[in-house]
Amino acid sequence: MMFTAFWEILTVDNLIYLLKGAMVSLSMAALSLLIGLIFGVLGASAKISRNRFLRILGNIYVEVIRGTPMLLQIMLIFNVVPIMITQITGNVFRMNYFLIGVVAMSINSGAYTTELIRSGINGVDKGQWEACETLGLSRWQTMRLVILPQAFKRIIPPLISEFITLIKDSSLVSIIGLVELLNSAKVLGNQYYEFMSPYCLAGVYYLAMTLTISYFAKKLERKLAVSD
Amino acid sequence: MIKVENLVKQFKDLKAVNDVSLEIKKGEIVCLIGPSGSGKSTVLRCINGLEKPESGHIYVNDQLLDEKNVETYKKLRSLMGFVFQHFNLFPNMTVLENLTLAPIQVMKKSKEEAEDIACQYLERVGLLDKKDEYPNKLSGGQKQRVAIARSLCMNPQIMLFDEPTSALDPEMVIEVLEVMQELANEGMTMIVVTHEMGFAKTVADRVIFLEDGKIVEENNAKEFFEHPKTQRAQDFLNKVMH
Repeated sequence: MMFTAFWEILTVDNLIYLLKGAMVSLSMAALSLLIGLIFGVLGASAKISRNRFLRILGNIYVEVIRGTPMLLQIMLIFNVVPIMITQITGNVFRMNYFLIGVVAMSINSGAYTTELIRSGINGVDKGQWEACETLGLSRWQTMRLVILPQAFKRIIPPLISEFITLIKDSSLVSIIGLVELLNSAKVLGNQYYEFMSPYCLAGVYYLAMTLTISYFAKKLERKLAVSD
Repeated sequence: MIKVENLVKQFKDLKAVNDVSLEIKKGEIVCLIGPSGSGKSTVLRCINGLEKPESGHIYVNDQLLDEKNVETYKKLRSLMGFVFQHFNLFPNMTVLENLTLAPIQVMKKSKEEAEDIACQYLERVGLLDKKDEYPNKLSGGQKQRVAIARSLCMNPQIMLFDEPTSALDPEMVIEVLEVMQELANEGMTMIVVTHEMGFAKTVADRVIFLEDGKIVEENNAKEFFEHPKTQRAQDFLNKVMH
């Protein structure tokens, strides 16, 4: 029977327990988005650089990360990185599950953000570069003060989608044992011998997070449209 | 003040500028005119360094404009202001921020000083009341006047105009031409690529007529418009003046 323990599970304590899991998922996604954004700016700068070596490096990063499953990336970081660091430093190194999640998701998100930022930069009119050039601004000043602010405005909608994807993909980190939202639901399921109810509740939490973000994203977009 | 020697610029198979030489003296106003694709804009963009010529030399104040000589190159380019056909204002900044960006970042002026200067130029182009607006709130003519003021804030010795009125509605053209006329009256050295024959006739000291990347005729404005020497210039004027 499905939902046999629904009313039993629906207690304030259990809802708070799931909420804590949701907060882990949300903070992991938010941190990964921010760090991924830094990787994205670096990756995009490398991909549009005049230096061939940097361009190749940027391409390898994007292709390798986008071409392999995130689950595999999480497993690799979980299994390989601590061993590598232990071998290098000689001290036993244990990474916290949350940190593994953030590192894996940031690297993954960075590859997608690289492409977003690169297309955002390419979408800015060539005349903007030329105007800066005639005013004597350096390439870096032009990028930082004129191009990136315009590029970012263009990529806010896809960046929000990326955030939503990260919230959902954070469930993949449950594979290494981190108690985020999905794993919290699983723990409740184990406790009550019924999984449908806690999984559906987790679904409601995921939806609540993603819909709220979409709502604020739309408001932000409208506010930013002032200078369009 | 500016000397161009045997300039050649090629885009793939097209020779956009083919062995052009010209000289512009201090305080002189020169209009480059000619049919579309004649290479006039490309000449102007090469003078400013926006296009890299295949061969030829450009001298500014008797100094060679050479990208390899980084410091001199920067210094010489800073003597030239450039006004684009499509204004190229920064949409993410207010009018005032558009004007103060380069003085603060490049000339290292303080914000207050840069804003003072910006307001003076905005007043001169009649747009001081728009200083806190974003460019999207301005008409085409206003945008171009802001773009001119933005260039002037860098205190250039020579102004290059690349079809400054071509993207404007007819009723906006006059307000931009008036600002340019005023600049001319003040003795600014100007090179203007334009289709505004009225402006060229009344304001320019000299007119250079180009076609297929070559100078076909060069004369003082009055002579050029009243007694064009070449058949090609006569045909062109007949088409555009009537």
